[in-house]
Amino acid sequence: MAWHTITFTINGETERVTVPSHMTLLQMLREELALTGTKNGCAAGECGACTVLLNGEPVNSCMVLAVECDGAELVSVEGLADDGRLDPVQQALIDVGGVQCGFCTPGVLISARALLDRNPHPTEQEIREALVGNLCRCTGYVRIVAGIKQAAREAAHVTH
Amino acid sequence: MHNPRPGLPEFDYVKPATLGEASAFLAAHAGEARPFLGGTDAFVRLRDGAWRDRYVVDVKHLPGMRDIHFDPDKGLTIGAAVNMNQVIDHPDIQAHYPLLVEAARSVASYQLRSRATVVGNICNASPAGDTTGACMVLGGALHVYGAAADGGRGMRQVPLDGFFLGPGRTVLQPGDVVTAVHLPLPPAGCAGKYLKLGRNAVGDLAIVGVTALGYPDASAPSGYRFRLALASVAPVPFVPVQAEQILSEAPLSAAAIAQAAAAAMNAVAPINDARGSARYRSLMTRNLVQEAVTAVWERLGG
Amino acid sequence: MSRIEKTPELIGQNVGRIDVLEKVTGAAVYTDDIQFGKALLHARIKRSPHPHALIKSIDVSRAAALPGVKVIVTGADFPNHIGLYLKDKYIFARDRVRFVGEPVAGVAAVSEEIAEQALDLIDVVYELLEPVFDPEFSATPDAPLIHPDLANYEAPNFIFPQPGTNIANHFKIRKGDVDSAWAQCAAIVERKFRIPHIQHVPIEPHVAVAQMTDNGQVTVWASSQSPFAQRAIFAKALDMSPGDIRVIAPLVGGGFGCKAGVTMEAMPLALATRAKGRPVKLLLTREEEFYTNFVRQGLVIRLKVGCDANGRLLAMENRMYWDGGASTEYGVNITRAGGYSSTGPYDIPNVKTDSLCVYTNHPIGGAYRGFGMSELHTAVDQVMDELAEQIGMDKVAFHKLNAVKAGDKLVTGMTMHPHGLQECLDKVAKALAWGQPVSAGSPHKRRGRGIALAWKAPAMPPNAGSSARVAMNEDGTLTLGIGGQEIGQGAFTAAAQIAAAALGVPMDWVRVAGPLDTQYSPYEWQTVASRITWSMGNAIRAAAGDARRQILELVADVWEEDVDDLDIINGVVISYKSENEQPLRNMVVYGLPNADFTEWKGGPIVGRGSFMPTYVTGLDPETGQGERAVVHYTVGVQGVDIEIDLRTGKLEILKAAAAFDVGKAINPDLVHAQIEGGLVQGLSSALFEEIQLREGVMQNPSFVDYRIATAVDTPRVMETFIVEAPQDDGPWGARGIGEHPMIPAVAALGNAIYDAVGVRLEGPPFSAEKIYLAMLDAGVVN
Repeated sequence: MAWHTITFTINGETERVTVPSHMTLLQMLREELALTGTKNGCAAGECGACTVLLNGEPVNSCMVLAVECDGAELVSVEGLADDGRLDPVQQALIDVGGVQCGFCTPGVLISARALLDRNPHPTEQEIREALVGNLCRCTGYVRIVAGIKQAAREAAHVTH
Repeated sequence: MHNPRPGLPEFDYVKPATLGEASAFLAAHAGEARPFLGGTDAFVRLRDGAWRDRYVVDVKHLPGMRDIHFDPDKGLTIGAAVNMNQVIDHPDIQAHYPLLVEAARSVASYQLRSRATVVGNICNASPAGDTTGACMVLGGALHVYGAAADGGRGMRQVPLDGFFLGPGRTVLQPGDVVTAVHLPLPPAGCAGKYLKLGRNAVGDLAIVGVTALGYPDASAPSGYRFRLALASVAPVPFVPVQAEQILSEAPLSAAAIAQAAAAAMNAVAPINDARGSARYRSLMTRNLVQEAVTAVWERLGG
Repeated sequence: MSRIEKTPELIGQNVGRIDVLEKVTGAAVYTDDIQFGKALLHARIKRSPHPHALIKSIDVSRAAALPGVKVIVTGADFPNHIGLYLKDKYIFARDRVRFVGEPVAGVAAVSEEIAEQALDLIDVVYELLEPVFDPEFSATPDAPLIHPDLANYEAPNFIFPQPGTNIANHFKIRKGDVDSAWAQCAAIVERKFRIPHIQHVPIEPHVAVAQMTDNGQVTVWASSQSPFAQRAIFAKALDMSPGDIRVIAPLVGGGFGCKAGVTMEAMPLALATRAKGRPVKLLLTREEEFYTNFVRQGLVIRLKVGCDANGRLLAMENRMYWDGGASTEYGVNITRAGGYSSTGPYDIPNVKTDSLCVYTNHPIGGAYRGFGMSELHTAVDQVMDELAEQIGMDKVAFHKLNAVKAGDKLVTGMTMHPHGLQECLDKVAKALAWGQPVSAGSPHKRRGRGIALAWKAPAMPPNAGSSARVAMNEDGTLTLGIGGQEIGQGAFTAAAQIAAAALGVPMDWVRVAGPLDTQYSPYEWQTVASRITWSMGNAIRAAAGDARRQILELVADVWEEDVDDLDIINGVVISYKSENEQPLRNMVVYGLPNADFTEWKGGPIVGRGSFMPTYVTGLDPETGQGERAVVHYTVGVQGVDIEIDLRTGKLEILKAAAAFDVGKAINPDLVHAQIEGGLVQGLSSALFEEIQLREGVMQNPSFVDYRIATAVDTPRVMETFIVEAPQDDGPWGARGIGEHPMIPAVAALGNAIYDAVGVRLEGPPFSAEKIYLAMLDAGVVN
């Protein structure tokens, strides 16, 4: 079994971890860094509960080896809020009632954040297509889509 | 039926410094080493136990793997490690190869497209591959680094025609590393369509996939030539030659298109599986070929 | 009692959920998130590859020698049967295996990988037995017996197993005289439907951690809808006292019934009894989740329904063969519930129902949202649709004529209570523009609309109880102790609303004591059956009322006023008479002094309340008749407007509308959210879902080929309506809604497909392929 010492940033903090070859990014986050916000739903890249940002792009962390993240910039759900201030997608999902059991929520938030970063004014169809890889069993997606629309509208009024 | 484990099995991750090193390692460990790109197929099969490699060899970082290069005279070269989202977003590919963009957009989910690659899709050699058809009808070829005829190592071109031997099997040999897929300039005035029938409205694997490319060709009696590729209706991505012939021989009309569609249906021998029955796949081959070719014909001015 | 008995402001208000902040930041703790440290052992399970076989021998010696393996157990170590209703299951298989995936041995090791490797080193020798897969055949004398010891299984007195057969329960309805009634029918429809097995697909797979200390006391952490029921089942399985078992249930990432009762949780517990104090965790893979734990039973249903020339229903004959799978410990009650509600919400004077729960060598059928009602209504509502057409009546008019009304004698002889089914019908019909013609958007599409009615009663033993505790804190806030679980439906939020409203304090003064913990939380039967808002809500209202009474009596005593002149408003005791005021803080723990400080009165205020229905009666075993079969029914209607592509059979849902009578919406937003989610789950089962079984082996145990609705598969437009016809014994009139929105979905879609293209399929999923081939065979396309 080969081991690799890797360095990366996660939610803005630098970490150095030694991992075996076959450990996934999801396992590293949950087991080595105790960042349990990212969830394990299928270990096969289908449900999206494990979605994180890898160098700005949403990926299924169960389908990425930890060793591939040497030198990478990672963002998980714990990194969305800024010093206690919720990200607009987090606040919007609360406001519209888009959270029920909450297990799909971290992955949904990451996909939503990435969508609005690359497309600040998505159509409803674009929102839905961006969420195809995030399975939800509780909400029927109705309020998740409504929440992302609201976050987009609100961000449009914010000046940076 | 495989019984997947909770996580990946033990293996060693290898990151060679050069193409030569990668090729030599893969050849030396034939049967227990495999190159990987996005991992979206590899990790699923490793977890399933379908693949039992001791070494997974990461080649994404090697020179040129992440490059996209469009040459107005020679065509498009997409590095093996370029992911599907990058293909979809690239202005030159959007402008000159919209058929490939359409096919890439239909793949799975945004997260999987952040890792999946066109080369990986081709090398996985699944008959259901979404982008394979587009690359085939556009006359694509793979750039492969590996054993050369003279015993040394070097680059060679491998056309997609004849590349696939069966589900999951290609002409690639141990030691081969695919570095890019090259698509020549598309025929002047062409139009294309990728129609994918899945269970969900978007995403999913193709129950049947139809790639159609049509272009004006004065040498054809009908004035047009069509290139077709069918997904999920045969052990390999399938070219319905007789259907293509019908579309070039007789003047294009709804009847000719229907005839070509029927010929495509009669040419395929799909299987029954969890996604669809042979009967439905045959009928959908006919209906989707008809729909795709009609859409292309309309865009060609018919 | 306060002189003012109006509905408090909080009841009916769209209060924001109290559990969402932690869920959006990733701080919410689910069972797999708990950090146990290096002592934690990991379990993996050796499973049967055969659907039916004798176990000849199990050799674990090679596995036990693997470094890192700490515990191995098999069925030989645990002889007791377990189960909720019919005790027919073992923790690990003992003499034989009865389904592919059945646990045969368990391993606990220092890592999941080592445990997995150890499985390959366990040698099991089987002798194959003839398997049975079809429930109708399995119910015949020719079928091999799957449970030869059925006669010896413990069962409650409302379940009727048939020893010497594979029939685990046979529920009968004999109401009126069906045989004579057919002659009076002007139209009769007879149909058979086959409903496949599906799975709940909670996004969080099952997970449980168990630990036993030296003194024999046990703690189990589990993603669980039912910590108290689990405690009781564990106790019986291991011959322990429930007092020595503690079940802690953190937030649940989706339940839908699969996390009710005990399924995989007993296995880490069994391993923990041998683990020398180390905790043992078992987390199911998604593949295991699909078929080794709980699925929804398959159903073969033969239905015959007739009406007179005016369209008035006269008779129904309903024969249901429930494919219960290898164990029916839970499924037997689904059969019963299917039987006592077997007419659907229709008034039918003559009914003959036989509802049989049949063993097969298929995965284990358990509680699934709807508890048999989705499967039943898939058949009933489609047959009604056909009957309406046959008699030449508009379908909505037919429903309005025949829908059960308050005062009607139901299929069990129970009298129906007031409810809003007519209003639900009107709202959905209007939302679909029923009666106005609609057309497809293009020449290769066909348009259709369909409507289906639904009802369901909470399916539970007659004495399922709830309790609650209101413990006041020094600053006037209260800690609300409950045993009902937050599985995403908003139970904690509704609970807090009810407590705050019943006590008279602001919503944000309530702290719901979570995670649930049988050591500290008050008893709750299970979070199932859509019973929590109603039953637990009553208990909370009583507990808060008890605390309120103690507070008012104390203050009345000190003020020397009449308790009836006092009230608690926004956390302050006020007198309508003297206009005195007394804030709750401090007094609810430290009491109040009398006027000259010579005496202290009162003390820590702890309110308690419980609720248990007392009026449910048994039903005659031969006729299914009884005074009161169930506590109440929630009713509702769903409709869909669809387009079908003639070239592929694919369908798109243009609009879905649903209306449900919840008695009183404690939190309307949460009710709408349940309707939305249940409707989409229902449509998902209608369009995509099927456990494809071949020779007992699931062919599609992954998301790749078990498809569920994604964000692009939902109706383009969804309208949801709340109707309120109060429940006489619900908190401010409330009754449940959790399961109901899923129930009519399949039938509504089936009726819409028929309206669009004139074909009716034998059962869901209504895949594009099935629709296309049906159209082809019917000559609709060629």
